Amino acid sequence: MQRAIPFEIFRYVVILSLVAISLVPTLWMISMAFKPIAEWSAAGADLTWWPRNPTLDNFRFIFGQSSTDLIVALERTAGRPIFASLLTATFGTLIAMTAGTAAAYGLSRFGQGGNLPLALIQLRLFPPMAVMIPVMIMWSFLGLIDNWFGLSLIYGIVTLPFAFWLMKTFFDDMPREIEDAALVEGCTRWRVFVRITLPMMRPALASSALFVFILNWSDYLIALLLTTRDWATIPVYMASLSSSMTGQLYGAKAALGVIAAVPPIIMGIAIQKHLVRGLTFGALKE
Amino acid sequence: MSEIALENLGKTFGDFTALADMNLTIANGEFMALLGPSGCGKSTTMNIIAGMLRPSHGAIRFNGQDVVDVPMAKRGVGFVFQNYAIFTHMSVRENLAYGLRAQGAPGAEITKRVKAFAELLQLETMLDRPAAGLSVNILQRLAIGRSAILKPAIFLLDEPLSNVDAAFRAVMRSELKSLQGQFGQTMVYVTHDQLEAMTMADRIAVMDHGKLLQVGTPLDIYNNPADTFVARFIGAPGMNILDGRLIQKDDAVSVEVPGIGSVDLPPALQFAARDLNGSDVQIGFRPEQVSATGSGLTMRVGLVERIGARTIVHLEHEGIAAKAVLPADVAPPVARKDWTFTVPEDGVRLFDPVTGQALKARAH
Repeated sequence: MQRAIPFEIFRYVVILSLVAISLVPTLWMISMAFKPIAEWSAAGADLTWWPRNPTLDNFRFIFGQSSTDLIVALERTAGRPIFASLLTATFGTLIAMTAGTAAAYGLSRFGQGGNLPLALIQLRLFPPMAVMIPVMIMWSFLGLIDNWFGLSLIYGIVTLPFAFWLMKTFFDDMPREIEDAALVEGCTRWRVFVRITLPMMRPALASSALFVFILNWSDYLIALLLTTRDWATIPVYMASLSSSMTGQLYGAKAALGVIAAVPPIIMGIAIQKHLVRGLTFGALKE
Repeated sequence: MSEIALENLGKTFGDFTALADMNLTIANGEFMALLGPSGCGKSTTMNIIAGMLRPSHGAIRFNGQDVVDVPMAKRGVGFVFQNYAIFTHMSVRENLAYGLRAQGAPGAEITKRVKAFAELLQLETMLDRPAAGLSVNILQRLAIGRSAILKPAIFLLDEPLSNVDAAFRAVMRSELKSLQGQFGQTMVYVTHDQLEAMTMADRIAVMDHGKLLQVGTPLDIYNNPADTFVARFIGAPGMNILDGRLIQKDDAVSVEVPGIGSVDLPPALQFAARDLNGSDVQIGFRPEQVSATGSGLTMRVGLVERIGARTIVHLEHEGIAAKAVLPADVAPPVARKDWTFTVPEDGVRLFDPVTGQALKARAH
């Protein structure tokens, strides 16, 4: 369809500004991660897009090899928080996906559960802070504060509604005849679920899991409240990257931010094929 | 080998009656078509036979044994779905082998049967292809193979050919028929396409609004429809039904269609209609039986459709419509002119105008 030229110009201006709004901070972070302290600190005279003296100092710094330019010594390195983030986000995703998939399948196929779908979505309707104080008390009672399992568990609970709703939509869209065909050929319901339904749902599982993982991965608030030291995650650790002498360690934060962006990107690329199919799952049927 | 008996079978969904008191016996090795428009209850019947739905009341017997409480995996039926239900994450070979594997058949037996059926259905060249990329035609062939490979005593097909293209449909009609000849299963075939039912079935069960209207051989249903619905539904175009009145003159009974003319009745119908002098009746005749020679009925000619082997003539008289089908070598009547035609005595059927039921011919 041919559109008027002013409209086309307008369209591109809007698109470009949206792209800029989302990309500029990311690019700025990447640029800053490779700048020496003189270029990112308040002492730096002028800010440039391209690092004038690119360096890996910031990365070395957060892993404990303090360079001469950065006088501060780090109490903790980034290794442990990265591991904590990976472990808790992955385990939380596992919990949410397992419970969510099972619940979604039961509800989609057998229509049982009454108000469960609404009850689950309700978990997302009030701000997390409203429940975090009771959760903190409960977790502390259970000895789950600053514990990888405690954090994973709450991640699983918080993201369960997403896993459930995404998977329910996918199950609802899958033609029932496929399962009926296997059932009529002599399969048990469990075997049908494991051998037919789950493999066919691979794209759906992949895209839902990625979504849930990113939610868990980027959490700051819950980790801040439920961890103290041993299991602080990347965002919590990042907030602590400051010193009395230099203030916020922007370079180190940017370096950590670049590292933190890597796992979701790798996962996204790894399941890209599935992701596209997952997002267009409804169009799969003839 | 199995005989299927449906006894007072009914299914209701809330207030909606999907199937009302169905009684039907399908003989061992018979090819039975369930024919009717969408929503007539034919798929419901099929799903109950397969065990996907539980009937609200009534019994289903396989060889005399009630199977209502037998789960579908244990009924030993094969089911082919309209939308193939192929496992797209598997190869063609895995799809064919799936049922056998689920039932725990030995490996050598699986290999042997997969090979035999792949040959039978001309799938050998694509055994190792993933099922996801296959054409609709091949998918349906594979779906039929996947069910047939289990050699079920009862084979249920739910509109298996409605998604495939016309040319392939013709091929599959004869293949299905020969498949059945080879294995002798009892086949139940749900369709809304009367051509499929007429060409393949030993008997046809015509259904509408959850009711079984008539069961009979294809020719029987075509020639002697039980009511006006079946009369109009079977045949392309369906039977003409006109309102008329029975008139008795001397000993002969004829039907007068007001403003159009009158038709003489064959002896058997005359006998049946003898005491009904003066009462309203509906007269039915096949468009194909209209003859351009002679006199009897006169209607105005509307559209004349020439479709090669035959010509369809649309007729009209004060809101009453009828159709005539003439062979291509007969000169069609002129449009927008009155046209006089006859219906041979033995082509006439009578129906009760209130109930729609056919008036049965009776011997003297």
